[in-house]
Amino acid sequence: MTNGITHDEMNLLVQRFIDQELSGEERVRFVSRLGRDEVLRQRTLELEQLMLATARLPKPVVPENFVASVMARANPPSAAPVRRWWVRVTDAIWAPRRLQWNIASAAAMACMAFIVVGSIIALRVEPASPPTAAQPTAGNEAAPAVLVRLVVMQPNAQSVAVAGDFNGWNPSRTPLEQIGTGAWAVTIPLKPGRYEYMFVVDGKQWIADPFATEHNDDGFGSRNAVLEVRPPSGAQL
Amino acid sequence: MLVSRHARSILSVTTRMLGPAGDAEDIAQETFVAAFNALASFQLDSKFSTWLYRIAVNKCTDVLRARRPDAVPIDATGADDRGDTVGWQPADLATPHSELEQAELAWELDNAIQALPHLYRESFVLRHIEGLGYDEMSEILGVNRDTLKMRVYKARGILCRSLSHLEGAAR
Repeated sequence: MTNGITHDEMNLLVQRFIDQELSGEERVRFVSRLGRDEVLRQRTLELEQLMLATARLPKPVVPENFVASVMARANPPSAAPVRRWWVRVTDAIWAPRRLQWNIASAAAMACMAFIVVGSIIALRVEPASPPTAAQPTAGNEAAPAVLVRLVVMQPNAQSVAVAGDFNGWNPSRTPLEQIGTGAWAVTIPLKPGRYEYMFVVDGKQWIADPFATEHNDDGFGSRNAVLEVRPPSGAQL
Repeated sequence: MLVSRHARSILSVTTRMLGPAGDAEDIAQETFVAAFNALASFQLDSKFSTWLYRIAVNKCTDVLRARRPDAVPIDATGADDRGDTVGWQPADLATPHSELEQAELAWELDNAIQALPHLYRESFVLRHIEGLGYDEMSEILGVNRDTLKMRVYKARGILCRSLSHLEGAAR
């Protein structure tokens, strides 16, 4: 006990003073107590000296080859450079080839072409569905739409939108509204089915939905959230 | 570039946690490699540096756990060989005399930090070497603020006692 406060209380007071966590009044009382409490003064001085010595500790020097070593470990050299799948497909399509042919196979190919062209002409062309149509599960086209609410936390965002199978992956068609501190949401009607989507933050950052229960690789190094919309109970499929 | 920007901080943490003669540089590199490999799992609502610190601290903890007890330096004895693998850049030094004093103090303080119990050491390093706030420390270590404060308080107390034999330390 020193000047009315216990050793533990004094220790806590000094530590909070060092962390600059004392309120204005506490600070005034603390400083006035420093003038008349030798033990408190000594304890504060020791801690201040420790903080000064810690601040003066030398900083480690990053070795010159540090970044290169990290990159070498992150991308170990492989026998053949890894090429994206679409590059491989494009190369395969445009690679020059020498064709060998004879009259029999040429005649067979001509017959096949005749049959295919004739079939296309005979078929009545169905009008294409609009690009914004959702992709409901086969057989669910007649099922009533279900209202789905998507919510994401993005406190620093200026705008958030969602892009997915249900809007032709066009984020400008489905913006989210800010509903609270950092929370953005949108409610969209969807037919029962399975949809993939991503959020688009500030028009440029594509992020997966952290609340989604399932994700799929999109083939470009990111992951799409997967949304399974079930028919409302009692609906006839 | 991300590695260049954060290399010094991460190397600082691993060096203070594992000691300059240990595998600090190797673990710092592993931290960045692990971050690259797990980049897809990085949540945008967290700071990148916070995420890196968390990986580094976890890797240091793994190394310390794997070390045999007799291989973990309990105090500063035997550390005088200066077999450092990590170079050091001194902070502001005024005169040759103060340079000598500060070098001695830094050496004593560094050894005292190395001798801290692991949980106190990681809290002290993040708070006072890296200058992080308790909220960010809580996010990195997964421990609540009050617990972290007590660890930092206790670490400071131990360090004060360890340096008490030095006359006018840090002046």
